[in-house]
Amino acid sequence: MSLPAPPEAVLSGHGLVKRFGATVALDGVDLAVGRAEAVAIMGPSGSGKSTLLHCLAGITRPDAGEVRLLGQRVDTLGERRRSALRRSRFGFVFQFGELLPELPAEENVALPLMLGGTSRREAVQAARSWLGPLGLDGMGHRRPGELSGGQAQRVAIARALVPRPAVVFADEPTGALDQATGHDTMRLLVEATKHNDASLVVVTHDPSVAAWCDRVAEVRDGRVQRIR
Amino acid sequence: MPATLALAWRLLRGGGGRGLLGSALTLAAVAVSTGLLLFAIGANHAFQQRSQADAWRHPEKAAAAPAAIEALSTDYVRGRPISVVDLAALNGSAPVPPGMPHFPKPGEAWTSPALGRLMKDLPADRLAARFPASAGTLGRDALVYPGELVIVIGRAPADPAMTVDRNASESLETTAGPVRIDRFPTAGSSLSGAYRVLMAIASVLMVAPLLVFGGAAARLTVARRDRRLAALRLVGATPGQVVAITVAEAVLTAAAGAVAGLLLYAAATPALVHIQIAGGGWFAAHLWPGPLTVLGVLAAVPVLVGVSAVVGLRRVVVSPLGVARRETPPRLRAVRLGALVAVLVSFGAVSGSLMSLGRAALVVLLVFLALAFLTINLAGPWVVALIGRATVLTARGPARLLAGRRLLDDPRAAWRTVAGVALTGFVAGFLALLNAPPSLSVDGTRDPHALRLNLPPARAAEVAEQARHRLAGTGATVAVKEIKAEDDPLAEHGTVTRKGVVTITVPGGAAPTDRARTALAGLVPGKVATSQADEDVYGNRLLGDLRTGALTVLFVSFLIAVTSAGITGASAVLDRRQTYAMLRLAGTPLGVLDRARRQETLIPLAVMGGGSLLTGLFFAAPFATGFGTPGLLTLVVFVVAGFGGVLGASALSRPLLRSVTTDPAPRPD
Repeated sequence: MSLPAPPEAVLSGHGLVKRFGATVALDGVDLAVGRAEAVAIMGPSGSGKSTLLHCLAGITRPDAGEVRLLGQRVDTLGERRRSALRRSRFGFVFQFGELLPELPAEENVALPLMLGGTSRREAVQAARSWLGPLGLDGMGHRRPGELSGGQAQRVAIARALVPRPAVVFADEPTGALDQATGHDTMRLLVEATKHNDASLVVVTHDPSVAAWCDRVAEVRDGRVQRIR
Repeated sequence: MPATLALAWRLLRGGGGRGLLGSALTLAAVAVSTGLLLFAIGANHAFQQRSQADAWRHPEKAAAAPAAIEALSTDYVRGRPISVVDLAALNGSAPVPPGMPHFPKPGEAWTSPALGRLMKDLPADRLAARFPASAGTLGRDALVYPGELVIVIGRAPADPAMTVDRNASESLETTAGPVRIDRFPTAGSSLSGAYRVLMAIASVLMVAPLLVFGGAAARLTVARRDRRLAALRLVGATPGQVVAITVAEAVLTAAAGAVAGLLLYAAATPALVHIQIAGGGWFAAHLWPGPLTVLGVLAAVPVLVGVSAVVGLRRVVVSPLGVARRETPPRLRAVRLGALVAVLVSFGAVSGSLMSLGRAALVVLLVFLALAFLTINLAGPWVVALIGRATVLTARGPARLLAGRRLLDDPRAAWRTVAGVALTGFVAGFLALLNAPPSLSVDGTRDPHALRLNLPPARAAEVAEQARHRLAGTGATVAVKEIKAEDDPLAEHGTVTRKGVVTITVPGGAAPTDRARTALAGLVPGKVATSQADEDVYGNRLLGDLRTGALTVLFVSFLIAVTSAGITGASAVLDRRQTYAMLRLAGTPLGVLDRARRQETLIPLAVMGGGSLLTGLFFAAPFATGFGTPGLLTLVVFVVAGFGGVLGASALSRPLLRSVTTDPAPRPD
């Protein structure tokens, strides 16, 4: 079963197949994500949902099928160009935030811009402008160890959005948070991505997280089983 | 406890490819440390053995009834010294000399294997004719090193050679007696004592960085375990059990490493015996400390690693949720630098009067060297943090910012990576000034190769006449000069006030000189005609040995430093693999990560290596013999090899970095 393409697909995968040895992680998946649309990929552990996210984000190359961003093939690009693409057009939010523990919050947020060639002063200024709207006023100088789990995850959201990406990928973004904080974090993530005209792909096994998204694709045994 | 050990063993085996690689790195670090520790201990032991092996030739007056007479003189062939030991039994209870089956009978000569060979190989008039025919070969117990030239000659007590005083003029311990003895002494000579002190200094220079390196390796093991420790706490392990498991794991790895180190030392011994010190190489057996010492090292190394692991573990906050909480680290206190400054100032204050302290100067120097190492190691992290702060303030690009933040985040870890090379800088600086070869030529106007015989003035003319007769037709010229003792730099004040010197000038080089020595053999019983060059052999040898020792210490320190940089570099990649993987996943180029990693090492290396080098120069300044080309060369080689070595070691972990970041999320989920 394939997810019907939205009218204006920003990101799409067609016939995606991925094997790890004898294990078939993806068995011909089709998925498309529209502009400023939030799509949840749900499924039990081992269903292939993270592999699908990695294929769509250009982290892993599919064995078969194709991935397109704004109509352009990205799965055929070399590692260097896919890296550049991930840096400039995609944003990532992981389960544990995965912030650099040595850098204060504002430098964590500024890092993608600096990697893209922006000067440190401009990058840090841009980073600061993201922290306020996400409720992190005055916390720019704190290091990840000095932030709560929810605050760290909001810094990760700012870091994902600061290069103004086309798509934000989130892998179990609330997995390490309590229910109330997880709820707040999801609300911020969805609102901030939409506000910035970015699309959102969230991998989760939590229905309450998926409920924040416009559409939900349920993956089981490497295939999309159901769309809501 | 058995359950803890079993679990530690299980965790060690089940660590997966990267876990095993981590353990292998620790094992390799411990192996190198143990091997070098055994080398330091073995070398000290070897010098002690040499000192004891040499002792029997330096007779001590009998405390009880004398049983024999012993005298030592030194002859030369091809510019190499031959130790000539004359022995005469006074009664039936004469002690049996080491390396011989019995006390030599009058007219009997026993030679070392090397001298025996040389006597056969050279024409008799160059060497063999000087001595009685060889009756047997001396055993190893009689020799200081393989290849040493020694001859033991048995004589009658009334033989003139057993009555002439050997100590007429020479200040070096190359002649002694004749002395009535009741036994052969076992305490070493002062010259071998000097070597032992120098070896002790070398040991401090080698072992100090070694301990830093070993400790760093142990702590890295613990740092890598943090996630596993949290998992163990989650399933209900008490903090005590977690500590026990971690320490057991570190100790098991270290025990295997210590055994590997022992094998490494055993494998290196055949090469080590060729290091030439004090005239020759080594007996392999001398390089092996006793089995108890070896067992002690094998037991002590894992214990030290275990203690180091506990210290490292104390720093990791082990809570069941979230392991090492990363907070802004407290600033290191400037008192760390204060300690180094205090040591430098104290040394500056005493260094002026150091040379007048005699033997105590060496003890003072040893203490200060150890203190310098300790305080450089203490100040290192503080300086690294300072460098980190400056790097962060001036960083414009992401690589430099990352490097600076990491230095600031954990200056102790950053220091551990460069500590080895920085401390080697101290060694290089210290040795560079001792490296210059001063000329030992005491009197430039005298022919250094002319043979001389120092005699009472009354006998000089008669001996000169006999010498002319024996050397007739060889082209040698013989002259007599009467001098006062204070005019002779080689004379011991107070022993002889006036003497006659018979000077024999032999044209044509080593072979005619050896022939002249042979012709003159026995002319004055117990006396050997020696030249200035002969006597310089020992001084030049000591300087040469200082250079050999310095280069050996430098090489060993450097080996530790580069191995340390390589292992800590690889461990750092393993420790941060998740961060690196996520950064790569988010599109960070590998080059940026690699550049950050390199800067993180090279910036503190440049500052601390340079600083340590200058500190080393400062410490060597009171003993400086001059800053010659070899010293400068040592420094240049150190700087080039230091940076090259660390860059190379760092490059070795680049494939590891690539491998941990290539597939950041290979879960089929």
